Amino acid sequence: MSNPVTIIMVEDDEGHARLIERNIRRSGVNNEIIPFMNGTAAVNYLFGKDGTGVERKGDALLILLDLNLPDMTGIDILKRVKENKYLKSTPVVVLTTTDDSQEIKRCYELGCNVYITKPVNYESFANAIRQLGLFFSVIQVPPASA
Amino acid sequence: MTPVSRRRTALQILLLSVGFVVLVAISVASVLLVNQAREDNAWVVHTVEVESQLANLLLEVRRAESATRAYLLTSAPQYLAEYQTAAAGIPAALEHLAKITADNPTQVNNGAKLRAAVEKRLAEYALGVERVKNNDVATGVDLLRNATSTDAVEAIARISSDMRAEEDRLFAMRTATADRTQVLASSVTIAGSCMVLALAGFSIVLVRRSSRARDDAEARLRDVNVTLEATVDERTADLREANEEIQRFAYIVSHDLRSPLVNIMGFTSELEELRSDIFKRIATLGRNASLQPTLPDANDAVEPELDEGDKQLSNDFDESLGFIKSSIAKMDRLISAILNLTREGRREFKPERIDVRELIDGIVKTVAHQAAESSTTIKLGALPNLVSDRLALEQIFSNLIDNALKYLKDGVPGEISVAGRTKLGFAIFEVTDNGRGIDPKDHQRIFDLFRRAGTQDKPGQGIGLAHVRALVRRLGGTMSLASELHNGSTFTITLPIKWTGRNRDRES
Repeated sequence: MSNPVTIIMVEDDEGHARLIERNIRRSGVNNEIIPFMNGTAAVNYLFGKDGTGVERKGDALLILLDLNLPDMTGIDILKRVKENKYLKSTPVVVLTTTDDSQEIKRCYELGCNVYITKPVNYESFANAIRQLGLFFSVIQVPPASA
Repeated sequence: MTPVSRRRTALQILLLSVGFVVLVAISVASVLLVNQAREDNAWVVHTVEVESQLANLLLEVRRAESATRAYLLTSAPQYLAEYQTAAAGIPAALEHLAKITADNPTQVNNGAKLRAAVEKRLAEYALGVERVKNNDVATGVDLLRNATSTDAVEAIARISSDMRAEEDRLFAMRTATADRTQVLASSVTIAGSCMVLALAGFSIVLVRRSSRARDDAEARLRDVNVTLEATVDERTADLREANEEIQRFAYIVSHDLRSPLVNIMGFTSELEELRSDIFKRIATLGRNASLQPTLPDANDAVEPELDEGDKQLSNDFDESLGFIKSSIAKMDRLISAILNLTREGRREFKPERIDVRELIDGIVKTVAHQAAESSTTIKLGALPNLVSDRLALEQIFSNLIDNALKYLKDGVPGEISVAGRTKLGFAIFEVTDNGRGIDPKDHQRIFDLFRRAGTQDKPGQGIGLAHVRALVRRLGGTMSLASELHNGSTFTITLPIKWTGRNRDRES
């Protein structure tokens, strides 16, 4: 556990990104947050140039994922992460406006760890993010396995 | 097309009538002409008869003469008898001749002369015979010998030849007339027949043409029907596609609208946080400037006192934020409503057998508390069972019953009744209340999304009835409303008794 967890935030809406970051900071989580504004950049970072994900081997990551991205759907990223042998144990939190039960079910089937709907009611939104902060402090991000 | 065929029909009727008239004319003409011909022939026969009678008479005269001569020569009584027979026949023959020539003045005249001559001659014979009887043969022979050269014999010969000539003339004339009549008759018949044949031919051509036109029209109709079916299928497919497109569009739009809304709400809340920080600081600064510094921990505990101007600013700030937040909340409710509607629109409907009474009983139980509060009674009449989608039916009836309960007249105990009947494969349900009613000008409007009518004293988004109507349509039914202001409302829903999932909307 010598490596501090890095939070990968894949969120195309700048405002949402800022709100999420603020609320995470407010809940006392000070881990590094790397924001990505589109799916391609995030995929490049996660899986590296060769697309195998070997570059991220051993990194302790946590992914915050929006499903509606301009260049691809978050579901594709979720699928690739969970199928990759280096990244599959990385926790993924899906954060999106979709509250369609079919969509939620599909995300859980693909291996997402938490699904959070972005509510318009700010109180519950902030609350959800703060809960997430608590969640971060409790979970054990496993050291990368071989 | 129609005027042409009407003209053709009129022409055919005209042709038929013309043909009929021609036939009648030919028949009449034929009858007349045949009668004429018969008459003409009778006249020809008559002429021949006159000639033969004349010949007969002359023969009798000759017979009388020869008998007289023989008697003069032989004085044999057998010749006397023969003379008597011949002489006796002559007046009758004369009489007959006179009778049958009575029509012709020339012949009457000739006949009279002939009669005179013959009678004169007969008188001479009688005289001769008389002499012989008295044994004065020589005188008798003389008498007759003289007599042969007398006028009587000559006259007889002349008159009879005149008569014959007259009759020959008549014969020639009458034969010509008869021939002409016959020729006329046959030519009329031939001409008439030709005309009838021509008309018949023309009619056949017309009938052939009109039947060909009918065949063509039938073929075209068949083609059009086939094309129509194809067109209907095509349009239905287009409509479905358009409908799906709209559903997708509504879904995406409402989703994408939500994203900025999250930001607006989020940053408005951030502003609210900032606001309290700013006004705290203003208050602190103001107090620091005017009075002694306060204890630092007092800032956190209570809202610091602001002076008049700052308080006003703070209130304005709050008001503005309040409006923004309530508008966002409203917009979020609308977007959610659209999302729910599109989700409902995309839900798969499953036809199943439904006990409608049980279903509505269930709804009535869930609203029993509300009903009791407004002392409303809900009566259920006869309710036919259906094959339909259970959830959709539940939503339809619970929306209508909710509405009836929601919009009662103040101070009047509510009466709501739900009843149904069947008609021609459809079940007709009526939800009736004695509530505040709906102005007829709003009858269409209340079915529109986000539109409401009447006094706006109850919470609501204006979605219920739009949703109900969409569901009824998807179930292959129709919906109507009868109501006037202050006099209650009746919502009538017509649904197919056996919905197969294919009416109006696709199965999935």
